[in-house]
Amino acid sequence: MEKIKENSSGWSNGMARNITFIVTKDCQLACKYCYLVGKNSNERMTWEVAKQAIDYILSHEDDFKEESVIWDFIGGEPFLEIDLIDKICDYVKIEMYRRNHHWFNSYRFSFSTNGINYHTESVQNFIKKNIEHLSIGITIDGTKRKHDLNRIWKTADMKKGGGSPEEERGSYDDVARNIPLWLEQFPNAGTKVTISSADIPYIKESVLHLYSLGIHEVNINCVFENVWQEKDDVKFEEQLLELADAIIDGEFYKDYTCSFFNENLGKPLDRKLQNQNWCGAGKMLSIDAAGNFYPCTRFAQYSLRDKRAWMIGNIYDGIDKNKLRPFLVLDRCIQSTLECIECEVAEGCAWCQGENYDSADTSTIYQRSTAICKMHKARVRANNYYWNKLFRKLEFKGIAKKESVDYAKLSNSNNLIC
Amino acid sequence: MKKLIGKVTEEEKNEIQTFFERRNGLNELAKILTVDNTELYEKLVKDMSETERNFQSWWDKMADKYQWESVDGGSWEINFENCNIMLVMPKKGGEL
Amino acid sequence: MLQYLIIQLDNTSTSFCHYSNTKNRPLLITLDNLKNGILFAMKENLMVQYVLPDYELPAEYIEAMESIDNTKIASYQSVYANNADIVVLNGWNKEYLFDKDDVYVLRVDKKELFGKCSEIKEKIKMCRRLNIVITDVETFTDVDFELYRSVLKEFSIALEDSFAADFVAQLNVLTDRMMLDKMNNCNAGCDSITLAPDGRFYVCPAFYYENEYNIGSLVDGLDIKNPQLYRLEYAPICRHCDAYQCKRCIWLNRKTTFEVNTPSHEQCVVSHLERNASRELMMSVRERVEFLSDKEEIKDISYLDPFDLRDEWL
Repeated sequence: MEKIKENSSGWSNGMARNITFIVTKDCQLACKYCYLVGKNSNERMTWEVAKQAIDYILSHEDDFKEESVIWDFIGGEPFLEIDLIDKICDYVKIEMYRRNHHWFNSYRFSFSTNGINYHTESVQNFIKKNIEHLSIGITIDGTKRKHDLNRIWKTADMKKGGGSPEEERGSYDDVARNIPLWLEQFPNAGTKVTISSADIPYIKESVLHLYSLGIHEVNINCVFENVWQEKDDVKFEEQLLELADAIIDGEFYKDYTCSFFNENLGKPLDRKLQNQNWCGAGKMLSIDAAGNFYPCTRFAQYSLRDKRAWMIGNIYDGIDKNKLRPFLVLDRCIQSTLECIECEVAEGCAWCQGENYDSADTSTIYQRSTAICKMHKARVRANNYYWNKLFRKLEFKGIAKKESVDYAKLSNSNNLIC
Repeated sequence: MKKLIGKVTEEEKNEIQTFFERRNGLNELAKILTVDNTELYEKLVKDMSETERNFQSWWDKMADKYQWESVDGGSWEINFENCNIMLVMPKKGGEL
Repeated sequence: MLQYLIIQLDNTSTSFCHYSNTKNRPLLITLDNLKNGILFAMKENLMVQYVLPDYELPAEYIEAMESIDNTKIASYQSVYANNADIVVLNGWNKEYLFDKDDVYVLRVDKKELFGKCSEIKEKIKMCRRLNIVITDVETFTDVDFELYRSVLKEFSIALEDSFAADFVAQLNVLTDRMMLDKMNNCNAGCDSITLAPDGRFYVCPAFYYENEYNIGSLVDGLDIKNPQLYRLEYAPICRHCDAYQCKRCIWLNRKTTFEVNTPSHEQCVVSHLERNASRELMMSVRERVEFLSDKEEIKDISYLDPFDLRDEWL
């Protein structure tokens, strides 16, 4: 019997509390699509701040009742601060155990890295020490030309605020060399790919390239920011149709996934039964180098273009729960336009609460950005094509459609990257 | 080679998954805890043997309940995503 | 739909609500802006509410102000206190002289409210209506909630006696809820807007005094961004709530939760303490006399913050 590989739903099925340490705002790269507008090399978290944050969180168990926890480390590039991270993780383990905290039985350390320092001794020692509790995602955008289009090294001039296209140097080779080691240590690891306007022509070749590197799960999505040019949706749809053909004809669907194709996509949503907010902001906690708390990293000042940071407290005074209330009562319809509410292909159309806030006309999270609308509609058309073609193929091979659908049940219709 | 031989309930799966997670946690804690931290070290040692015992008794209890197939040199494995129990066959001579 | 235009005539015009007047130096609205504001109100069919300063205004201002039907709000100390429709008492003073036909707004902080409860209680029956505005409601703790519950109980006793004696005194925090069948909130940004001395429109005077955003000007016109967020249907907690007398203060929402449509825990609990005290008062009076027979009994509920019910709505 033929099978279709399912997208993974993530550890703890998305029900874990996510606690993010912004350990540094520095990075070796200067990716062109990076939403972190305020990166710098000055704001590094100190051990004292990290320790106090952990003490606060673990001593307020009643406010953190989720069964599981993901201790998440981001930057900038988190592995630039591997010594601090190692110390934090050791302390977290000891303290969870010492306090008989319920999270000791269900925790992960999660990293989203550019992969450049992956092979270094300090990172490797850390991995060996914590291998059973790690989730590490290396970002590689696809083929060399696609990756190097955006993911470029920061130059000395950029550090001073300048830089020119002639100086640009891509980072593909520095990342790709670490992929085999990464996949050896985490065979089921997935990568995330971000699509901006200039990347559209390279989507198909990039996904297939990542498969060829041995990456079985490609989580890919369009940026939420308003970057799209005229006809981008047409080009995007063409790329996805070509990719659909390649995946089906090459039978990659058996062992590989690409999050662009998802059976639970592009249907209307019920106003009452499917009114949940999509984004998890507010159910997460981010901590920056100064010890301030945010509902998600996207609400820290270095992530925001036009708005003030949405601080919900700090390690000294604790969490101001009033500042979280808007997130916890937010539903889909209240933040959507009538066009979005009545959209015939609404299912799977995602949003980022931080981007909504940043692009809103007033200082609110209750105004949904619709910059991604035409790209979502193009994705839905290509997705419909993909499943129609795949089911037809499987029917010809003698596998009844219903059975195929059962196999193809995808666990998470919103498998997107924040 | 693996062979599907049975399935446990969601609750049963949750029980073994907790033991599994705890055992992993204790093992990784053991890598950083030193003997001079007497109080925690003693707690850890005791906890490790208790967790191992719980772990084993779950398999005994389930094997008794479901009467799963077994072979000499083989082992059972659980898939936490779908609660399936697999029989992992022993490797034959020359098999890698 | 917009119904009211509040014209804050001077920077020093009294606050009549939760916000503090942070501007001490007089800045009178220009006569042109006053006239243009009145013209705007006439064209948009708005009722005008003037918030007067304590000092005497030039004659041409008074003349302009009277060119439209209006309501006047002035502080107890203002030279206009005797002509005002609503007199604002900033802080408690037992020497205040009340007029039985007048409406008063008493702005007090929690310390004064809890400490002077028995003095205030005696004055409830001496005016047509008393609106109590607690100026630091956002700082309430669990202890304060309990103290406020006791204060409401004290006020209820005074009101119950007056109702039994056939004098219907009005105290906003206890009697409003009994009369209401639906939400009756401040509705700034929705039913009312404010014209400030700088010639710009604001959601309410607090947005002017707290240096928040404006919503247009007399020159450029009114421009309320995300206007739906000021409406009840777009208030995710309030639209499920039956504390109908709650002010649902847009500015306090903005200050405490960053969102104009989301109230703080403190505002919700205080309003529910009032709601529940109204319920008990209504039941007690009904045991003695026939009372508001056209109104339904207020339901018994188990929560003080409707936010706790959010899982039932989502």
